[in-house]
Amino acid sequence: MRPVYLLSDPEAARRGKVWPSRLFHWLDRWAAWILPAPAVVVILLLTAFPAVYTLYMSTHDWFASSLTPPRFIGLGNYVRMLTQDERFLNAVWRTLLFTGLAVGLEMILGVAIAVVFNRDFLGRGLVRTLLLLPMVATPAAIALVWAMMYHPTLGVINYLVQLLGFPPLEWIANPRTVIPALVIVDAWEWTPLITLMALAGLAALPAEPYESAVIDGASGWQIFWFITLPLLRPTLMVAALFRTIDALKTFDIIYIMTQGGPGFASETLNVYIFQTAFLYFHMGYASALLVALFALVLSVSFIVIRLRRAA
Amino acid sequence: MLLNKHPWQAAIEPLFPEFETLTGVKIIREVYPEDQFRQKVTVELTAGTGTLDVFMSMVAQEGLKFYRAGWYEVLDPYLANATLTLPEYDAKDFQKAAWDAEFVEGKLVGLPIQAETEIVYYRKDLFEQAGLKPPATLNDLEAAAKQFHKPPERFGIVMRGKRAAATSVFSSFLHNFGGDWMQNGKPAINSPEAVQAFRFYGDLLRLYGPPGSTNNHWYEASAIFAQGKAAMYVDFDSLFSVVLDPEKSQVKGKVGFAPFPAGPKANLPSVPVWGIALSRQSKNKEASWFFLQWATTKEQVLKVLLKGVPGARQSAWDHPEFKKADIPLDWVETHVQQMKIGSPNWNPPVVAVSEARDIIGQVIVTAIEGGDVKAAADKANAELEDLIRRTQ
Repeated sequence: MRPVYLLSDPEAARRGKVWPSRLFHWLDRWAAWILPAPAVVVILLLTAFPAVYTLYMSTHDWFASSLTPPRFIGLGNYVRMLTQDERFLNAVWRTLLFTGLAVGLEMILGVAIAVVFNRDFLGRGLVRTLLLLPMVATPAAIALVWAMMYHPTLGVINYLVQLLGFPPLEWIANPRTVIPALVIVDAWEWTPLITLMALAGLAALPAEPYESAVIDGASGWQIFWFITLPLLRPTLMVAALFRTIDALKTFDIIYIMTQGGPGFASETLNVYIFQTAFLYFHMGYASALLVALFALVLSVSFIVIRLRRAA
Repeated sequence: MLLNKHPWQAAIEPLFPEFETLTGVKIIREVYPEDQFRQKVTVELTAGTGTLDVFMSMVAQEGLKFYRAGWYEVLDPYLANATLTLPEYDAKDFQKAAWDAEFVEGKLVGLPIQAETEIVYYRKDLFEQAGLKPPATLNDLEAAAKQFHKPPERFGIVMRGKRAAATSVFSSFLHNFGGDWMQNGKPAINSPEAVQAFRFYGDLLRLYGPPGSTNNHWYEASAIFAQGKAAMYVDFDSLFSVVLDPEKSQVKGKVGFAPFPAGPKANLPSVPVWGIALSRQSKNKEASWFFLQWATTKEQVLKVLLKGVPGARQSAWDHPEFKKADIPLDWVETHVQQMKIGSPNWNPPVVAVSEARDIIGQVIVTAIEGGDVKAAADKANAELEDLIRRTQ
């Protein structure tokens, strides 16, 4: 088959008559490289350059002011981070704890809600739509409203808790309850995403295994545990991966509701990085912390992906 | 020119056309909320482009860093120069504590535009019922907090407890117990006096304060007081409009204003001051100096004071027009008195102030939670030493 030429007249090119025709010929030959080039350049500028520059800055000590220009210190920032910086180690632990609790809770609730919503009932479409609302609301607004609801003396949640006969809690104002309280907000916001993905997975499941299970006399719980869940597993793994990556980076709700407080009791890695860069102006150290966050997200994602392959 | 979104900026900006017609100088300004404002100023000055002439600055917050970096134009020579300075400018008219706040290592780096000071807001009705006077000493403060503490209807006292934010309010306690941030050039927040102050502050809030104090910044704390849920509130006096706001406050007409109580060792209420400074990188220094003067003349200070911004000139506070204004007399007297004796030293005098505040705030949080204050103060002091070593 003859090749398709976009711009040039191959006959004219072979005859070597006019130079524009040769140019067009050259363009045709390299079209596969030239056409995506602008996109590649943009991506390099927007992602690769900052990433490499962050890596470069992370080997410097730079307290942003003209007192001290950036100073190369090799792996000094990393040594400090791992051996001296208690705030960093605590922040890593808290990030993992928050992510584990949040994603765990969201997976359980999300799948449970999806199974319920997969049945036919009156108003199903409406309820499904309503379910998505938390996900599309602005995180900053969500955080402000929750902070008000959690207020120990003026908030509505303690009012409800007391109506039920329990003693009031300090929620985000107590170092022991702040992480669970934030997990609840995150779960409220993001469980719908898991539900949505699980519903899509459920809709694609084959009917045959269910028919034979019913014939074999399996109970509803057995069907869910031995058929639905294994079949749904690939979908759920993807959902968990998405949520894990997002939860590791959670910033908005934590920063708005507690700024990492009380004390440093809810300071996750991302919040600590923000403070280090934009409040303390330690740009070099903040870059090193960012590299650590990147490594953390990458390794956790890697583990989740391996789990999925193993499934 | 870079301005922080602030009551002073809101009061003075409408007057800018006056300056422009007076001098023919065109003012190009950008206004940002506080966090973004500080980032923008730091970025501009670090970049050294020379496009920034005038900026608002809080010397106790960023003064040492900016001064050491050479970002402030030192203003003493300008003030001394009769050809550059208005004959009627009268710098001696500035209130002492506000004027003192504008110096770094003995050099004038800005002109004060707003001064506030730490006071006690108290419920006049409750104190009258109990036949009590407002607290004159820290012991009185504790006794009153205990007496009026009737949870959950009402708490004895409310103050900031949020990490860094609490350090500003804590500063007066620290000084009045005889402590200081630094002694002999070294951090001293684990001195016996400082530890006593941390304990006192933490105990007040833990025993007689609302639950969840460690999450309270001034807006949460003032809201609790404005809801009538606390008998006393210790914070800066610029918040009086929140407490007296007829739409938000349930205690309007019941609030008294008392000076910050004296401590066993001293009486040094903190005085945070906003000033306006001139960049050393500026290409329009003389015009900018005229602006600095214009913005702080007796006339302008009176105008902004009448709009509720506590400017720093005594003449404005004494002016008959201000005396006619509907502002509580005890608030005015407390403010004027504390401007004579107050201390601008409400922040640790280091380059990395924000980070130091977070370190010190952690001791306050520990004290409020009832933890081991001495151990926390020792640890924080070591962290401060390390911080100074890394940044200075």
